[in-house]
Amino acid sequence: MVAKTDKPTGVGKPDLTPQTTTTLSSILSLRTFKLKTKQQELLIRVSILCLVYILAFITRLFSVLRYESMIHEFDPYFNYRTTLYLTEKGFYEFWNWFDSESWYPLGRIIGGTLYPGLMVTAALIYWVLRFLSFAVHIREVCVLTAPFFASNTTLVAYFFGKELWDSGAGLVAAALIAVCPGYISRSVAGSYDNEAVAIFALLTTFYLFVKAVKLGSLAWGLASAFGYFYMVSAWGGYVFIINLIPLYVLVLLITGRYSMRLYVAYNSMYILGMLLAMQIRFVGFQHVQSGEHMAAMGVFFLMQVFYFLDWVKHQLNDIKLFQAFLRITVTCAVGVGAVALGVGTASGYISPWTGRFYSLLDPTYAKDHIPIIASVSEHQPTAWSSFMFDFHILLFLFPAGLYFCFKRLSDATIFIVMYGLTSMYFAGVMVRLILVATPAVCLISAIAVSATVKNLTQLLRVKNRVASSGPGKGSTGTKASSKGLGDQSLPFQKNAATALLVGAFYLLSRYAIHCTWVTSEAYSSPSIVLAARGHNGQRVIFDDYREAYFWLRQNTPQDAKVMSWWDYGYQITAMGNRTVIVDNNTWNNTHIATVGRAMSSYEDEAYEIMRSLDVDYVLVVFGGVTGYSSDDINKFLWMVRIGGGVFPVIKEPDYLVNGEYRVDKGAAPKMLNCLMYKLSYYRFGELTTEYGKPPGYDRARGVEIGNKDIKLEHLEEAFTTSNWIVRIYKVKPPNNRKEINRKEGIQSIERDW
Amino acid sequence: MDPIVRVLEVVPYSILRPPRLRLKLPSFSLPSAMTVYSLILLTYFMVVSGIVYDVIVEPPGIGSTQDRATGAVKPVVFMSGRVNGQYIIEGLSSGFMFVLGGIGIVLMDLALDKNRAKSVKVSFASAGICFVVIGYVMSMLFIRIKIPGYLR
Repeated sequence: MVAKTDKPTGVGKPDLTPQTTTTLSSILSLRTFKLKTKQQELLIRVSILCLVYILAFITRLFSVLRYESMIHEFDPYFNYRTTLYLTEKGFYEFWNWFDSESWYPLGRIIGGTLYPGLMVTAALIYWVLRFLSFAVHIREVCVLTAPFFASNTTLVAYFFGKELWDSGAGLVAAALIAVCPGYISRSVAGSYDNEAVAIFALLTTFYLFVKAVKLGSLAWGLASAFGYFYMVSAWGGYVFIINLIPLYVLVLLITGRYSMRLYVAYNSMYILGMLLAMQIRFVGFQHVQSGEHMAAMGVFFLMQVFYFLDWVKHQLNDIKLFQAFLRITVTCAVGVGAVALGVGTASGYISPWTGRFYSLLDPTYAKDHIPIIASVSEHQPTAWSSFMFDFHILLFLFPAGLYFCFKRLSDATIFIVMYGLTSMYFAGVMVRLILVATPAVCLISAIAVSATVKNLTQLLRVKNRVASSGPGKGSTGTKASSKGLGDQSLPFQKNAATALLVGAFYLLSRYAIHCTWVTSEAYSSPSIVLAARGHNGQRVIFDDYREAYFWLRQNTPQDAKVMSWWDYGYQITAMGNRTVIVDNNTWNNTHIATVGRAMSSYEDEAYEIMRSLDVDYVLVVFGGVTGYSSDDINKFLWMVRIGGGVFPVIKEPDYLVNGEYRVDKGAAPKMLNCLMYKLSYYRFGELTTEYGKPPGYDRARGVEIGNKDIKLEHLEEAFTTSNWIVRIYKVKPPNNRKEINRKEGIQSIERDW
Repeated sequence: MDPIVRVLEVVPYSILRPPRLRLKLPSFSLPSAMTVYSLILLTYFMVVSGIVYDVIVEPPGIGSTQDRATGAVKPVVFMSGRVNGQYIIEGLSSGFMFVLGGIGIVLMDLALDKNRAKSVKVSFASAGICFVVIGYVMSMLFIRIKIPGYLR
């Protein structure tokens, strides 16, 4: 792709920085069209990077063009709400915010339980724009933060690729990551989530660390520590960094690549990174106390041992003596470390691994022990088609790229290999972690593309070179050049190489088409506004969620408490501005289990629970009319499981018939009379949803419901949206004890007034 | 000498005869880069074919569907329409195709190694091209079966 020549540059101004040279050279090219090859290359490189930068931004704008500029999904609404608070009240108020609107009656300390990086970033962008007198709304800033950072990631990918292989690989990596669906899925406009900035921070940290290891310079090490700080402030996935880097250092130690450069890079990064990370309140002392961070500390001490040994070796000239010393020291160090870890764990000073972390290493753990983690659909293990969907031809290129990395092992390629492998494994365990694997996969694939294309172009050129200057003279020093000479050349070498080049570009263009299609079809739906294809092929929009939330905001008392399944908690507080019992920050399992228990109990039992939680409204999501399949009835078994995990009175088999989950006539009696069923299907039996089907035909599950005559005793229907997707019920106040004397009672009350 | 050691030397061996063993402490040496690479290729195959999914979700090897007209049960290899769901066999076959494509690219690079005989190089190159083409075409076919509305 990128032509490399050995010609010494006879350019007039060699000391200029790349930027100025580019602008100069672009002017030059316009005027004279005569450029030195190096300048041409630079010009092409910079313009490709600019194009990639723009492409990465605009390919993420599908949803803005199709719907409107709005926040997507669930978690982003919380981030948006906090950002709004931050810009209105300032940083200190934000930092000390106690939110009484969620987790009623417990409340939530927002400042201490979130990663503030994203909000602060968006607020800074907002303030800068305001300072430059661009009158933007904070929502637009939030919507466009993710694409902006995705564009920046492409730049980092370019530099990283350049560091790993050559600038050609860097360019390919930037282009690949710009459109890779695995990354787009979390960074379309409107998905204002932690991952949006975190991937940028992750890749920056890794790049700076690799650079630090290569140069052994303190400055790069400190820079990577700051990158790490940004990552810690943005996303809980920083645990991946603080485990991968020690692992990488360990591998380098084992393979005998210990060097002073490594020592400087790791120590500066670890010490400063640790101190900085502890400034984030949500992390705090966990960074030195919890089990997930112990690997980093262990490797830190191991580095000191290595350094000491190196020094002793330097002092001691007797090899045999040193061998004995080495054995004793290593054994002692490992022993002391193990004892310290054991004592720390036993005394409770070092906290054990969290469930999430443990379930990554042992995928069966969450399934057996923590239903709340297993219930989230993005925590499911990955099937082959998800990989195909998110990576397309990168799946072929990844193993090939690994081969090229192994062929040219260096500190940097070892790092990218380890990053690729560990993250691919994690991606296999959890769908959402494909995101973390994407940069590595793109970089490694870029190496494969770059190396292959380079091979092919060299095949094309080799004849000319033989004719003009003789073999071996023009080779650039890479091992793969000057091979097809004389009788060693392959048959139809040139034609085959041309054909293969065309094939390579065909594959890459298919990749681009695939990515655009996936982005447009799968990853650009806001999921707060649903779109479906009508029978004429036109797009039908269901805006029921926002309808319901605005109804809540307008028609319920300011202090009303809304009970719903935790998925909708953030949206209700952000858009409906009402207090919720549980929300998407699933920090208190018991509280969620209480809600799950209420949903899966009979109405009068549920009423007791709701009274005890001061619930005024109950909100359920129902897709039976529209055929929307991720509604509460389909999530219901998870409510049962999570509720049953804390309250053993709820048993999953009670809701199943022969292990099968049904809502029709053959459903379990408990299922037909539990609160969730009643609230979802209340008055549904009167409704004909589809032509030629009996009334009460559930289109999401394709069955006629089993209980059409639903009477509610303690609740009453308050609001149902136009497509029945959201249904809100009011919890009635308790009945007076004396039914007969109701009139007198009222009179007596009136008299008291 | 320690008297206990003396006792230990004499007492058990008066009854037992030590077998002649050739025990050696296992010497640790780093495996070559390409050994590691082939191991990695194997794990890669397992990951992309969704082995973790197979272990946790425990789907059947192949699914089955009932024909609407005749009522006969016929086997289905691909769990169509669901992106994050699979049967075991389809996962393994697609994972194989991905690895095949990757090996194809590697073979194409090996064909340019100047230290090999010409015939070996030619066969490497042609095998490589075939592998890539087969891998790509098959995986595209699979994804079209999997997602019926693909690229439409």
